[in-house]
Amino acid sequence: MKSVVTTVIAAADAAGRFPSTSDLESVQGSIQRSAARLEAAEKLAANLDAVAKEAYDACIKKYPYLNNEGEANSNDTFKAKCQRDVKHYMRLLQYCLVVGGTGPLDEWGIAGQREVYRALGLPTAPYVEALSFARNRGCSPRDMSAQALTEYNALLDYAINSLS
Amino acid sequence: MLDAFSRAVISADASTSVVGDIDALKSFIASGNRRLDAVNAIASNASCMVSDAVAGMICENQGLIQAGGNCYPNRRMAACLRDAEIILRYVTYALLAGDASVLDDRCLNGLKETYAALGVPTSSTVRAVQIMKAQAAAHIKDTPSEARAGSKLRKMGAPVVEDRCASLVAEASSYFDRVISALS
Repeated sequence: MKSVVTTVIAAADAAGRFPSTSDLESVQGSIQRSAARLEAAEKLAANLDAVAKEAYDACIKKYPYLNNEGEANSNDTFKAKCQRDVKHYMRLLQYCLVVGGTGPLDEWGIAGQREVYRALGLPTAPYVEALSFARNRGCSPRDMSAQALTEYNALLDYAINSLS
Repeated sequence: MLDAFSRAVISADASTSVVGDIDALKSFIASGNRRLDAVNAIASNASCMVSDAVAGMICENQGLIQAGGNCYPNRRMAACLRDAEIILRYVTYALLAGDASVLDDRCLNGLKETYAALGVPTSSTVRAVQIMKAQAAAHIKDTPSEARAGSKLRKMGAPVVEDRCASLVAEASSYFDRVISALS
């Protein structure tokens, strides 16, 4: 999976050389930044259910038609699935925070996303609303440090852009 | 190819849960500079380590450089040196990534079969890898043997911590052991 370290190693391997000083510098840069990412990942993991629930509630509030007969949030099974989907995005986002790149979101969330939602007849606007709510909900220093929040929001923006 | 972080993600994804063991990753980051020093210690001494390991292997088994031996003539000796360097290089990558996947996928996968097909003696290869393992430990700890190295003594001279990077020595040794078990 793509990250700073694996990219550096792949480049060194292609050239058939040992890790050079500049390779080690790149890795060190990534290590220095990773404290913020891991802080966000830790806080998100601790509150994943609450974050996902709030985001889900926000999107149903904005699109109440989803509760109508035959719509995507009309019965308990569907409701549970919608909530699961939002949680799924938040989980992939946590993976991205851990890895330090968008690899997990790209590979397990975005690839094939459009086709799946089309096939299931699901609207993407509510997903955008749920993620946007989460995007604007985080607050520093209440939830996490400013740098951690920046990393977290950047990934939410990335997910939102993939859906819109 | 995975690193310590993506390994954590892959194993968390297998149970569709979030990555829970953040503390392990935090300690990976906390010891990040030590890890880079260890990688640098090996990379900076690589050619010395490789030639010493192969020379040591031959010293213990002179038949290798006599007619019919696997390090005779020069062409085959050169191939041997090249292979030792390749193995050391992938071990260094694994140490940098904090995960053995790059070593497994790109170096060890099929190596035993290749050597069997080429008639390379496994026991000699394993001996050279064992010497490199000892050298790597000495360089990471920055305690090369003064008695043996003599005038060729090389020290990194980096600030040395109390435990002399014991965990990294153990990790590097485990990658060498991985090579040895893949060959035998």
